[in-house]
Amino acid sequence: MPTSGLIITLQPDPATQANVVARLRARPELTLGELSQRWLPAALETHDDDESREVHDWLMALPGVAFVDVVSVNFEPTPSLQPHLSP
Amino acid sequence: MNLPRREFLRASALAAASAVVAQRVGATDATPSPAPSPADGIAWDKAPCRFCGTGCHVRVGVKDGKVVAIQGDQLAEVNKGLLCVKGYHVGLALYGKDRLTTPLLRKNGKLEPISWDEALDTIAKRVMAAPDKFAIYGSGQWTIPEGYAANKLMKAGLSNNHIDPNARLCMASAVTGYLSTYGVDEPAGCYDDLDACDVLIMWGNNMAEMHPVLFSRVIDRRTRGQKVTLIDIGTRRTRTTEFADHYLEFKPQSDLAIMNGIAHLLLKSGTYDAKFVERFCNFRQVPKDPTVAPTAPLLGDAMSFDAYRAALEPYTPEYVEKISGVPAEKIRLLGELFGRKDLRITSVWCMGFNQHSRGTNANRLCHGIHLLSGHFGKPGDAPTSLTGQPSACGTAREVGTMCHFLPGGRLIANAEHRAETERIWNVPPGRINPKMGHHTVLLWEKFCTPTGQGGDISTVWVQVTNPGQSLPNLHKLFKAKRGLEDKFLIVSDVYPTATTELADLVLPSAMWVEKNGMFGNSERRTQQWFKMVNPPGEARDDCWQTIAVARKLYDLGHAGLRDKDGKFLFTFKNAAGAEVPAWDWKHYYDVNVDRALFEEYRAFSRYKHKDLAPYEEYVKARGLRWPVVQQAGGAWRETKFRFSEFDDSYVKRGTGLQFYHSVTKDDKALIWFAPYEKAAEEPDADFPFWLCTGRVLEHWHTGTMTMRIPQLAGAMPHAYVEMHPADAAERGIANGETILVRTRRGQLRLPVWTNGRGHVPRGSLFIPFFDPRLLVNDLTLGEVDPISKEPDYKKCAATVAKLGATRTNTV
Repeated sequence: MPTSGLIITLQPDPATQANVVARLRARPELTLGELSQRWLPAALETHDDDESREVHDWLMALPGVAFVDVVSVNFEPTPSLQPHLSP
Repeated sequence: MNLPRREFLRASALAAASAVVAQRVGATDATPSPAPSPADGIAWDKAPCRFCGTGCHVRVGVKDGKVVAIQGDQLAEVNKGLLCVKGYHVGLALYGKDRLTTPLLRKNGKLEPISWDEALDTIAKRVMAAPDKFAIYGSGQWTIPEGYAANKLMKAGLSNNHIDPNARLCMASAVTGYLSTYGVDEPAGCYDDLDACDVLIMWGNNMAEMHPVLFSRVIDRRTRGQKVTLIDIGTRRTRTTEFADHYLEFKPQSDLAIMNGIAHLLLKSGTYDAKFVERFCNFRQVPKDPTVAPTAPLLGDAMSFDAYRAALEPYTPEYVEKISGVPAEKIRLLGELFGRKDLRITSVWCMGFNQHSRGTNANRLCHGIHLLSGHFGKPGDAPTSLTGQPSACGTAREVGTMCHFLPGGRLIANAEHRAETERIWNVPPGRINPKMGHHTVLLWEKFCTPTGQGGDISTVWVQVTNPGQSLPNLHKLFKAKRGLEDKFLIVSDVYPTATTELADLVLPSAMWVEKNGMFGNSERRTQQWFKMVNPPGEARDDCWQTIAVARKLYDLGHAGLRDKDGKFLFTFKNAAGAEVPAWDWKHYYDVNVDRALFEEYRAFSRYKHKDLAPYEEYVKARGLRWPVVQQAGGAWRETKFRFSEFDDSYVKRGTGLQFYHSVTKDDKALIWFAPYEKAAEEPDADFPFWLCTGRVLEHWHTGTMTMRIPQLAGAMPHAYVEMHPADAAERGIANGETILVRTRRGQLRLPVWTNGRGHVPRGSLFIPFFDPRLLVNDLTLGEVDPISKEPDYKKCAATVAKLGATRTNTV
């Protein structure tokens, strides 16, 4: 059950940023930190690696997201998540 | 704090990301601190990443004797808390299901488990029977102490120079480029150049996928609003191209002409840096007849400035366009950029220049345009090679685990160097064999040639690499071993590989944080880590394996394993001064063998001003860039910009810049002229395609580790052949269809990928080499650069066919 720390770099336009942050907040796998300039820290928690990749691809394709960096990953076995959290 | 476990992990991940963001926002004056890690049973320690030569540092989280978490290390200047997709999965490289856990000896065609003692006896007897026919083949994955021990065993113990690393296949041309330009190996600049340059030129270098953290560092500057112009000069479009301001696509091999074209324009327009050239440079050319081996290949033939100008006269933008396919106006753009004094220009390259049948010349010409234009020696003005392996620089190049080197950049061929080495090793004068050993391609050719036909290598011990997949022209240089009954292949590795398939003896090795280690990255940065978890089963450190075999030889009476005083060459003492039998696994960690070997090796580092600090300094740091020089107050100071007075304490005051290991002994660097020459094999009517090989983002080198990480293997599960859609359509080939790719060396069935991640031009193919089931090196040429002896993996002629009757992957 992977848990990753991400930095999501947003496009500079503030209006777009607000919209992107709102869409990100709607994803229960993501826990967002505080937006600083264009950088938004986030934790991503998924059921498996395939789902991690799906979310990562979704993030990369999301209009208003310029880049996604991964800064940490935890692959320690943990108790199962509740059945699917994805929207 | 009693958070449920999952919440805790989520909070930790968010804290790590927030800390990196805070560091970014706070810019450079903020002092970074590691991401918080509340006590939860995870013990954290630092280590450099196991994969490429970038040298990112990770924080490794260990719980219950297992690596369970990885974070980018914010204290590390290299990666500032970031990691690439491989890096953040590095911990999983330890936990593939098929780890080798016991020694295996081939009996009646099958590998059968044996004891370590039997394994060591088997090796020692093979060596004793024919010490001069024994060879060790390693790589830049050796830690510094591992490489040093192997080098000492061979050169001091066995008076045998048949030791060479995989670095011969990837970095040797960079080495000869640096040596013949500056008289000493490795870059003058460092990654700080990436933070300071106005223009970054990537020469045949897909930095976005091969060195993604460094690329991210540059892209981050753009995010901050800084202007940095990216120029991608390559033979295929890649992810790097997507970020580039200019993409110059050239015909394979014609990079030589492009660089001559830039030099031509600098001279024509008078925008070269005349003062810099007069003060700091001499001119050289490659000997006119390339078939005649020059007596001093790194010195070349002297030439005057006028002769240099005349040699470049033909390389007009139009002529270069004709050779390279790059429009003349793009050549002019490069000439104009190099002619501007208000810009800082950094060039980076990796295998594009190095795996080149004229790799030394490609390196020389790149250094040359930087020197000619004066774009050298200031932050952001630098020609810098990048490396592919984590310690290609630190071990293969600096420790000198090559067949012609001694530690510290010293040469086998030099009697004085041998004598000094014998003094440090405390072995009798004359112990080091003055004859160079076999370089990689020759070594494997000799191993795969019947003994009666001149095959003078009978036993090869492979450590930390996978030549059964990475050598070129595998049918000739590796697979021909099959059936040669008197040849014996020993392989120390972590997993079964293409190499272990032909091995007679397999030794299970510890890897990465299962042992102590030290690496040296692309920017002269030496890094250290401690063992954090135990290796599985009976897997053991490569360094221990070397020392244990040395001890067996000592016990069998091999005189070379004794020093001048009759002592074993690998004698270690504990803090109390008592000898520790480190050859006995039970006692190997009774003393820090890494520290002892490193402190001995450190004495070599002074000869060519590659000074290393004491071991303990590296324990404290996230690496230090040599020369690391002790200051008046006792502190150790690293050097970011070599040869520049403002930063390099070995530069004579008042000189500004000093090439203190100058080939011509006058403190000047050499600007070389080398002509454009055709590739060793070019497309023709029978084989109409160029074939290029390389890597992909998800996999490192031959994939032995990354293919065992489900996330990475799932993202890129198999090799493929990249093909232009029009070429495919002409042949009725559909995207995804399996086709036959054939060269004069072999053939391979692969799925086609058109318009995929990379985009080859018409008439070109690209195949990655990570997949052990689809060995592209069955097809590659094996032609070597005449000076560096590095093979060209980037160019050979191939053909393709829709699959019909032919169904096998054999020649």
